[in-house]
Amino acid sequence: MTTSTIGPNAADTSSTRQAAGLRQLWRRLRSQPVTLVSTLVLLGIVAVAVLAPLLAPYAPEATDFDHPLSGPTADHPLGSDELGRDVLSQLIYAARTALLVAGGSVLVAMLIGVPLGLVLGYKGGWYDRIGSRGMDIADALPGLMIGFVVIAILGRGMLVLILAIGIIFSMNFARMVRAVTLTERKKLYVDSAHVTGLPTRDILFRQILPNMVGPLAVQGAVFLGNAIKVEAALSFLGLGLPESQPSWGGMLRVAAEHQADRPWMALPPGLAILITVLVLNLLGDGLNDALSGRRPVRKRARSAAPVPPPAPAAVADDARAAVLTVDDLVVVADRPDGSTARLLDRVSLQVRRGEVLGLLGESGSGKSMLAKSILGMLPPNVYAEEGSIRLDGQQLRGLPEREFAKLRGRKLGVVFQNPQGNLSPVHTIGQQLCEALRANNELSRKQARARAAELLELVGVDDASRRLGQYPHQFSGGMAQRVAIAIALAGEPEVLILDEATSALDVTTQSQVLDLVLDLRERFDMAIINITHDLGVAAETCDTVAVLYHGELLEVSEVNALFDDPSHPYTEALLAAHPTAETELDRLPTIADKLTVDGDWIRK
Amino acid sequence: MNDTATPLLDVRDLCVRYETSGASSWRRHLTTVLRDVTFRIGAGETYGLVGESGSGKSTTGRAILRLADIGGGAITFDGQDVATMGRRTPLAYRRDVQAVYQDPGASLNPRHHVGRAVTDALRRHGLGSAAERRARAEEVFVQVGLTADHLTRYPSEMSGGQLQRVAIARALVLNPRLIVCDEAVSALDLSTQSQIINLLMDVQEQTGVSYLFITHDLGVVRHVSHRVGVLRAGELVEQGETKALFEAPLHEYTRSLIAASPASHPQGRDERRAARQARRRAGVGAA
Repeated sequence: MTTSTIGPNAADTSSTRQAAGLRQLWRRLRSQPVTLVSTLVLLGIVAVAVLAPLLAPYAPEATDFDHPLSGPTADHPLGSDELGRDVLSQLIYAARTALLVAGGSVLVAMLIGVPLGLVLGYKGGWYDRIGSRGMDIADALPGLMIGFVVIAILGRGMLVLILAIGIIFSMNFARMVRAVTLTERKKLYVDSAHVTGLPTRDILFRQILPNMVGPLAVQGAVFLGNAIKVEAALSFLGLGLPESQPSWGGMLRVAAEHQADRPWMALPPGLAILITVLVLNLLGDGLNDALSGRRPVRKRARSAAPVPPPAPAAVADDARAAVLTVDDLVVVADRPDGSTARLLDRVSLQVRRGEVLGLLGESGSGKSMLAKSILGMLPPNVYAEEGSIRLDGQQLRGLPEREFAKLRGRKLGVVFQNPQGNLSPVHTIGQQLCEALRANNELSRKQARARAAELLELVGVDDASRRLGQYPHQFSGGMAQRVAIAIALAGEPEVLILDEATSALDVTTQSQVLDLVLDLRERFDMAIINITHDLGVAAETCDTVAVLYHGELLEVSEVNALFDDPSHPYTEALLAAHPTAETELDRLPTIADKLTVDGDWIRK
Repeated sequence: MNDTATPLLDVRDLCVRYETSGASSWRRHLTTVLRDVTFRIGAGETYGLVGESGSGKSTTGRAILRLADIGGGAITFDGQDVATMGRRTPLAYRRDVQAVYQDPGASLNPRHHVGRAVTDALRRHGLGSAAERRARAEEVFVQVGLTADHLTRYPSEMSGGQLQRVAIARALVLNPRLIVCDEAVSALDLSTQSQIINLLMDVQEQTGVSYLFITHDLGVVRHVSHRVGVLRAGELVEQGETKALFEAPLHEYTRSLIAASPASHPQGRDERRAARQARRRAGVGAA
């Protein structure tokens, strides 16, 4: 096992898709068998279309008047039509037509739709208002009707058909591109491009456009399939391609005329359309999944170290006072290449009733992984491999999810960083609070509602009974975080975990929420684990502070001792790097100043 | 250093209004987000702008960068009226006024090599041949503590601190006279934050650039700024020399902001908490 430690998310924080992710995209695509098969089938169809003259036994228009409407024979493996034309040859040549029309029309649709969507989404205002209404109207017109009109004006033919289908689809592309542009244009890299002085044209086509290659590819694949269907429909109606041009739709029309006497004739073109459209749709889906990073999670059987038996009560004098004890905890993550990375390396700590334990660390220190191990909420492919976590003597490591679900809420409460993300946007605050209350206590609806109002008032939400009926978006960040605390408290947990719970709040709101937590600690006599990267928050709220760095616990100290006389050079460096009044306009010491060239800590 | 006869940037009675209606409405609804904001930044000076979310501090920066429409008042840069520049911003102004944002990842195009952020800027401003631009990019990368190897990396391949260095490189390469730093160090870890703050201060020493330093972090603003302004709900409630403002704040809001900021040492925290609670009971400074 490799033991190098990486940040917990170092491998997957790059949610942003870019060219460096092409290899990753390919890896994801490979792990989807359906997509792989679809790709192969599609490549097969393309090969057939390209090699049509070599593969087809006859020219598509070659007639054999001796054997019209024959069933499958040695000469005509799929039979022949009323003029004695070979069905197999027609089928093969029609694949060419289908792919040309589909490819061409999607290209036309993109050429019209993409610039239109970019401009509407980017310009906004009147352009967008008029343009969007225009798109609505265009969308409301039946696509086939537009096709009829274009064909009626320009006549039949391959190019006209491509143009007609392209126009029908262009609005879908415009709509999607507009939506993506609307979100992209608010991003900072667009602002940055402005500040650099790039002209609008460059911002649209060189900055924004590359960022929607993914969705465009997905949409393109799906619409290739749709184009084939529309082409078949138009040709079936006799509006698409001239008779002389072999097409699946045209074959279907011939087959329809002989439906009664030669029912099999519809099968070859029908299946060809079905398979081609299906593989294109599956490919689109696969591409979409691969781009959005969704991947079936493969559970790996792991031989975790046996869970040690609970320590005898007599020996654990210290542990009796502690509500939660973590001993020698090792948490590892599977890497894609099969090795593992240690996210937590033999971490031991404990927290007592009424105590606030701070977990201080920078990103990648493993502080959130520690919280997630305690809560049994480790992400897939991350495991608590060794050590123990005991809550009131009960071993938590290796506990099945069903058991954990019972503990969360009742014994373990948690509040995460993002206040709105803590709450479900589609349920009222009252519903969410009552649900939490009734899950943990035997309460009637009415009792739960009364208790919910009480709790809200307790966490400092005014006018509690009215606000129970409101939705999370009607609450400010600080108020939403108070609600999240109320929900966490519903089961009267023994341990409350705050995972950067105030980091996203303004300072005045933060101080209110932190003061509230301290009040509640006194009231509920619970243990609090406060995970933070902020030295100030640790100084203001914690009794004991544990400092984590790259998965290692560097020191656990009483808060005053930590700030007065840190025992580890890293802590010392962290304190020195904190910009405060005392260091006004001076150079700040950095962590690098505390490391030797070999990466060892310089002790004082 | 400050308030010389002609300041580099003179913001006078600045008002900004936002249109708040969506595309589906015909009517225009205007919300005022900045009201009569007045301050100046001298050459080589750092002016800190603090405030909580929604106070309009980022909007102030955006107005100066001409990313938000100026609804009233005037912004004068080096004697030039920014409001009357017309729809197209002169390239000279773009060269003089640059920005560094909070989220270094988001401010770089995820699909481009980071070096392109720098060379694109040079190309747009017609500076040098392709080879010269590349050489200049290397130079500025070294100046911000990166190496030439970093030029061909993608944003996802770099750490937050490195990305912020790229963002600073992009801002520096045009030799600007003012850089708007909008929460430029807020998303960084403490150890990285101190390196970036040092870098910004070194750059100022070398080039004499001015900073508008927008942040919610009182500790940071106190450390880097010569003068500080406090924004609340679109209004500048107080401004002054950093030391004076922090040691003897005049406005009640400034006092409550300072009281709410976590101290750097636990000593006296119970008293601080009691004082905060008394302040809240008295109903002042509550957000």
